[in-house]
Amino acid sequence: MTRPLDVLDVYCQEAGLSYGELWLRYFELGGMCAGFELEAFLHGLRAPSVYDHDIIALAINERLVELGGRHAVPYLYDG
Amino acid sequence: MSMINDAPRFEAVTHFAGSDATVVLTGSVENAAASALSATLDAAIDRHPTSMTLDLANLDFMGAAGLIAVTSAERRLASIGVTLNVQSPSALVNRVLGIMELAETARLDRSTPEGGHLGPEQLGGLNGSTQRFASSLSTRDLRRVTGMPTDPDVVDGALALIVELARLSVGGADGVSVSLMRHGVLSTVAASDQTIMAMDATQYATGEGPCVDASVEGHWFHAESLVTETRWPTFTPAARSLGIRAILSSPLMAIGEPVGALNIYSRTAETFDIKDQKAAAVVAQKASTILSDASAGVSDTQMATRFQEALRSREVVSLAKGIIMARDGGDAVAAFGTLLHLSLADGVPLQQRAAAIVHSAEKPHIEHGSAEG
Repeated sequence: MTRPLDVLDVYCQEAGLSYGELWLRYFELGGMCAGFELEAFLHGLRAPSVYDHDIIALAINERLVELGGRHAVPYLYDG
Repeated sequence: MSMINDAPRFEAVTHFAGSDATVVLTGSVENAAASALSATLDAAIDRHPTSMTLDLANLDFMGAAGLIAVTSAERRLASIGVTLNVQSPSALVNRVLGIMELAETARLDRSTPEGGHLGPEQLGGLNGSTQRFASSLSTRDLRRVTGMPTDPDVVDGALALIVELARLSVGGADGVSVSLMRHGVLSTVAASDQTIMAMDATQYATGEGPCVDASVEGHWFHAESLVTETRWPTFTPAARSLGIRAILSSPLMAIGEPVGALNIYSRTAETFDIKDQKAAAVVAQKASTILSDASAGVSDTQMATRFQEALRSREVVSLAKGIIMARDGGDAVAAFGTLLHLSLADGVPLQQRAAAIVHSAEKPHIEHGSAEG
């Protein structure tokens, strides 16, 4: 089974998003972490909170949808 | 305050005059300093000031993380009915610098080769557009900012330097050009002289030649002698008539994809030896680094527009979360979860779903597109 953090980085690349563009999209959706923290999440150096994870997942998924794909990155929130 | 060796100087000092708070920021708010800034602002807000002023007059840099810290303090203050006043003659400049740092973030994962790199010093000298903010930047920051030539003019300037570098470092080079694919069309963006421009134009017109092949196929082509060359039957006689006898075309790659070619022309056949071929490859590599950096980002103006868009979208998402929180009584995380569910259920982007919620809250008598989804 692939760990969630790998999924983020793999799909970020599949979506063709640079870290800068991903950060902007994440910021747009209400994310509060700085760019370097976002990179730390993607590199697996730090674990994001469920909230941050899902915002990042959404940012990537929305790009995948724009490219004709689907929401491929799973969400962790189940509230 | 020294979290990292030679970390940029940063200080946040809070003064209270009665219940009026003033937070004076000095130095640079880079990412590492942003959490210290957040803590200072939070501590001041915890004392329930009736007014709060952020003095940025002595601030010389604010990064994206600092911007977020200020934005969230502003929101916290708004929730207790206090407006955050920002005092700064250079607030706009600092905001732009925040955007510049975003641009910098975009290329953090790409390391720049050491030594001999066609660096920011040269680029800065070529085009003044990246030095506009010099007065509020340290030398180090200036180097970081100018290290990424995203502006097309700056990139073309850098490629003009590449042409000069190739002409000087490749033995036998009588003329050099750089061809780039832009919007699907191959054109010459830098050339050492008019003959070379004509040479490239002939290749584009005939759709054949080493330059075209290198640009499309992504590996290099060496026409050792145009006297005996057979690969490009239409182009070769035209090149010979312009006095050219040998051509060396190296592909230029941006993030792994061929985007153009570095073309070196000679009036002497069989002049490019192994050493010259290696020198050409090194120069092409430098040009590729510049192009990779450039395509990783967008121009300053585009970035500024994009950032303004992002700020507006973020505001809409925040408002929608606030509306959901007021309605459902949960926290911001739960509100985001609700918004996410609504967005997925309707199959529309979250920002669009958030806008619908804000819209229906603004016009309570118009019931379509209600927040219940």
